[in-house]
Amino acid sequence: MKIYPYPRLRAATTITIDSASVTAPGVPREPLAASARSVIDRVLGLGTAETQGWDAAVIKVSATVPESALRHDAPWSDLAVFALLTEGATNTRLTARLAPTADDPCHWTGQLGLARADIFDRARLSAQVVATVDGVPGRLVGESEDDWFIDVTADVPVRDRPFETVRHSFAEGPYWLRRMKDVPWVVDPAGKLPTVHINTDVEGIEALLDADGRGMEGAVGELLAAQMASDIWLAVFHAALGDLELDERERPMFPSGWRGAVLREMLPDILPEQSLETALRALNERRVGATGWTDIQPRIHYAAARRGGTGSPLIQAVRGLERLRREDDE
Amino acid sequence: MTGKPTRQPKYLRLLPDSSAGLFLTEGLLTGEDDVKSIQLDGEAQPLPEEKRFRWDGVRDLLEDAMYEFGETRTAADAWLAPRLHATLRLTRVEAADPGLWNYLALGVAPDYVHWRHNPSGERPAEPTAPVPAERFKGPHYKQAFARLWWTAELFRDGPDYTPVVTACGIQDILNFAIRLEVMDHRPTAQAVVRLLTDGTVRTGRETNALAAAVNAAASTLFLDALAPDVDRNPTDIRAWSDGAEDAMPVNRRILPGGPDEERTPKESVEILAEQFRELFDEAPVRGSRPVQSGD
Repeated sequence: MKIYPYPRLRAATTITIDSASVTAPGVPREPLAASARSVIDRVLGLGTAETQGWDAAVIKVSATVPESALRHDAPWSDLAVFALLTEGATNTRLTARLAPTADDPCHWTGQLGLARADIFDRARLSAQVVATVDGVPGRLVGESEDDWFIDVTADVPVRDRPFETVRHSFAEGPYWLRRMKDVPWVVDPAGKLPTVHINTDVEGIEALLDADGRGMEGAVGELLAAQMASDIWLAVFHAALGDLELDERERPMFPSGWRGAVLREMLPDILPEQSLETALRALNERRVGATGWTDIQPRIHYAAARRGGTGSPLIQAVRGLERLRREDDE
Repeated sequence: MTGKPTRQPKYLRLLPDSSAGLFLTEGLLTGEDDVKSIQLDGEAQPLPEEKRFRWDGVRDLLEDAMYEFGETRTAADAWLAPRLHATLRLTRVEAADPGLWNYLALGVAPDYVHWRHNPSGERPAEPTAPVPAERFKGPHYKQAFARLWWTAELFRDGPDYTPVVTACGIQDILNFAIRLEVMDHRPTAQAVVRLLTDGTVRTGRETNALAAAVNAAASTLFLDALAPDVDRNPTDIRAWSDGAEDAMPVNRRILPGGPDEERTPKESVEILAEQFRELFDEAPVRGSRPVQSGD
């Protein structure tokens, strides 16, 4: 936990998106339907807009500060609340000053305008509570914990995006895949979202993957999918860990986007009973240091296999084989 | 020796990371081999056929930089950053795609990457240590061209590239400061340049000390509240890329003009410059003043 040399809010501040609209030159503003937002996932999907080529969006936000922020004996004055929108890939940083509503002084509202050309993929929206403390103006006394994501392309507002799957012939596909034409799939963790390339040259692989549900084909298909998922988790984990940036004190920072999400998800299985920050530091030291990288591999493998969910499809497949054998016997 | 690509298409292309890795061979990094540019072109994806993406437009600019700064390569950064920015006229979304930077480094000017980032400096003909791969394909603060474009984008003051020239005069801005999120706030970046311009901060070490102090201060101060900026206008961004169709090649002698956007509010820059001056007075600078214990 960070230590601050001045008093701060103890209770949580929350932020939410109330509505959004998009604009394009020469056409009327399009207000987005409520289904563009997921309050549970805290994601706004601007890809739901019907306006072609929209180039700007206006997002109405509201933030709620705890009552303790406004108490007359609070150790600060000049309280102000800001909405802050950031995206690492574009180095975008936008702010909007919110205003308290007339009927509830804890409830602040305002709007944030963004240009489509400024957001590559997903921006993070948070609330920042600022005040004058001990005579110092502009002190950060609190920030929202549950941030929102503004996704400029998503047509469904969900937080966890599935990995992308591309099916193509490796022999005739992109050049880098041609050299790998003798394997059924390859995971590429570079780019916006990790992608699994499935080699359609492997006869029958598509039929297996598409065979939902029962039967031997379904069981094998699920086993294959689980195996692929473990491979993906393993690949994205190593990609995320290999790309770490260090802060000014040479400590690794959690990356943005899926890389950070993958690390947060898997670290508790790899180095349990440690805070995420400590675990990340420890793991990075093992990776770049002299020892400890080899003996942690089983834990990494365990974490990936668990996420892939290889266990139950394997049992299903074994049982399916057993049934087939019985049918043959009868 | 790694030279100009043999394949010279009409327009730039995008080379995704997964493909770019294949071309980063030992022979390329040490400067012995050329890039297999025909293969590379087949691997890359097309960009819209717009004037700002003309292959020879960028190539000419880079050749002029190599010619002009033969003896003083690091000085090429301050010359090239605004001119590359004004030639490509990218949006931030376009610049966030590493494919473009991979292509510039491998498909347009691998010889420039060698010329500028060759570790043995002034003696390019000698057998040398390899150029780090991240100068060809790497994060925005390392990649040979992305670092220049982003410095220009983050340090320009609306249409005025003068602060970019100042910022690029100190390698530590390019190497360290543009990595910091705090520099994404325009008044902060302009206030840092102000301190470079007025001589408060002179050396690379001092710049690093200032950037680190500002970054640390931003964890308890919301600089955006102290020094508000104006909103970006989407129409200006569009006008800038569209304007490329009628634009002349950027002037090699006088500094070109950038996107016609509103400048940073003066008061905001002044407030922060004052604050940063105080921070800098207390900041430990490596190698010049004794570092206080416990720091």
